[in-house]
Amino acid sequence: MTEVSLRALQKLYGKTLALKGISLDVAHGEFVSLLGPSGCGKSTTLKCIAGFEEVSDGRICFDNKDISRKLPEDRDIGMVFQSYALFPHMTVAQNLAFGLEMRRLSKSVIAERVAKAMEMVQLTPYADRFPKALSGGQQQRVALARALVIEPAILLLDEPLANLDAKLRNEMRGFIRDLQKRVGITTIYVTHDQDEAMTMSDRVVVMFDGEIAQAATPEEVYDRPASERVARFVGNANILELPVMAVRDRAAGGFDLTLPGGTPLHLAAPAPWANGALRVMARPEQISLTDPGFGQLGGRVAKRYFSGGHVEYTIDTDCGPLLVLGPTTQAVHEGDAVGLTFDASRLWPMAPESGAKP
Amino acid sequence: MQIATPVLALFRVCIYAFLLAPIVVVVLASFNAGNFLTFPPQGLSLRWFWTFLQNDVFLDAIAYSAILAAASTAVSLVIGTMAALYFVRHAGREAETVRVGVLLPLILPEILTAIALLFFFYEIGIGTEHKIALFTGHVLMTLPFVFLNVTTSLQGRDDSVELAARTLGASRYTAFRRITLPLIAPGLATGAVFAFIISFDTFGVSFILKGTGSAPLPIQLYDYLRFNFTPEAAAVSTVSILLTLVLVTAADLLFGRKA
Ligand SMILES: Nc1ncnc2c1ncn2[C@@H]1O[C@H](COP(=O)(O)OP(=O)(O)OP(=O)(O)O)[C@@H](O)[C@H]1O
Ligand SMILES: [Mg+2]
Repeated sequence: MTEVSLRALQKLYGKTLALKGISLDVAHGEFVSLLGPSGCGKSTTLKCIAGFEEVSDGRICFDNKDISRKLPEDRDIGMVFQSYALFPHMTVAQNLAFGLEMRRLSKSVIAERVAKAMEMVQLTPYADRFPKALSGGQQQRVALARALVIEPAILLLDEPLANLDAKLRNEMRGFIRDLQKRVGITTIYVTHDQDEAMTMSDRVVVMFDGEIAQAATPEEVYDRPASERVARFVGNANILELPVMAVRDRAAGGFDLTLPGGTPLHLAAPAPWANGALRVMARPEQISLTDPGFGQLGGRVAKRYFSGGHVEYTIDTDCGPLLVLGPTTQAVHEGDAVGLTFDASRLWPMAPESGAKP
Repeated sequence: MQIATPVLALFRVCIYAFLLAPIVVVVLASFNAGNFLTFPPQGLSLRWFWTFLQNDVFLDAIAYSAILAAASTAVSLVIGTMAALYFVRHAGREAETVRVGVLLPLILPEILTAIALLFFFYEIGIGTEHKIALFTGHVLMTLPFVFLNVTTSLQGRDDSVELAARTLGASRYTAFRRITLPLIAPGLATGAVFAFIISFDTFGVSFILKGTGSAPLPIQLYDYLRFNFTPEAAAVSTVSILLTLVLVTAADLLFGRKA
């Protein structure tokens, strides 16, 4: 069942087109992230869904009903803001009660639901505190509870974790994700942090310049990005331009490429546009280091960064510098000659930037 | 350069003395037992307060000034708050124009505002016979104080709290009443006190625009002092100083820490 449906959404600010036709369907209970660099229109999309901004063209449907012209208070949404937007003159309990009061529920029902919501976000001891007297993480949870206590059809979050420190941010990711699955609420989450989008979402919507570049599962976006720009935005990407030696099946996949030095490399993925040469992406963890002379490509370690769980190398090769992620158990040092092996099954061809990939 | 603490303290005392001495003199002079406005007072007595309380001219003037101040404060609160909300939340390129426009009566010499209004009201055929001219003058004089205080309490907050209220089901009006209004209440209170005092004390605008008939207190005092030089004028001033003090203290106690 489709809960939220954006149809060719456009938003014009003066003369600038902030949204250039956004179309997206979000299923009931789905967690979708809007991911993109600053200024790509994530917040604008969210504001249109919330009703803070009027759409210039296109439609927004909730449950197949066009709600583009409805006021925010009539849309049945819960929203969490980056600044939390807690009411500073109300206690935690009063903040949570506000939305229920607006729905004219009885005092006893309100008290009961507020108590339940506070338990849900583990804030019961703080009921009578004012927001000022809470830590950032606690304020964050109040904002979340306040948005959920009204049991809205849709939950919108605009960079809710941006103001928290790294450790708390990691905790809150899991917390929000678990809560969302428990409540089963359709959720649209805005972030410019690709790790956040990947770890939390059922589906990631990558946006550039007011347009959707790719909307797919985190695995798909990471392993099979729709363009080089997506590939680079969602993680570290090595792009190698390699000549095509033989084509077995253009559409279904099957190319023989050669690496500098003549080693053949088989690409299983489809690339209908392939012509002479192909640009292929290999993620740093899809390349492994071997002893010099072995592997498919030779190189020399230019930089080595130890980062706890693994080691990050920059290897100078005839394909240019490549980023490689290796285990900490390997004794490889800066200046060492090494061999490189590619995980060919996961190599992914890059569509040319102009003319989108089908 | 390091200034010795005692020197600094002395400097501070001098400034306070300079600011407060005239007030002290007026207050002391109002307790004068003699027939003339002199300092130091010749004997202590409350007789001039008694005289003043029986003088309908001053009592009427105080009542008139109080009503005028209350009315112009009320109107300024509404217009000033709207202007502040527009300035902080919605004005784009024209923000600075709005700000300067509202603050102009504060920037220009009061007499210029008064004369401009005088011309204006004669030009449109109303003149100063109607209280509307005087009233408009007082609203203009008090508006900047409401605007400045409300602006201050709005700045540094984005409109996300109001938007949050909207998503929770509040209409635009309810969001204003339940969220915005409490947040700007300290600014409104301070602005109101300032506005009231400014209107109560202002001379130039009242002098030029008052027309005939009853006049605000400062004008009445001025008229009185031209022909009489008794401590009654000081007694009137003392009462008006007291009034101001009560207002400021009350506002500070109610909202001081929050503002
Ligand atoms: N009220 C506005 N008036 C004019 N232009 C605006 C307005 N709001 C946003 N824009 C423009 O629309 C574009 C998209 O802005 P938006 O806030 O949606 O970006 P974003 O993806 O949320 O970025 P960020 O990660 O920085 O929050 C930007 O170019 C921005 O300058
Ligand atoms: Mg944004």
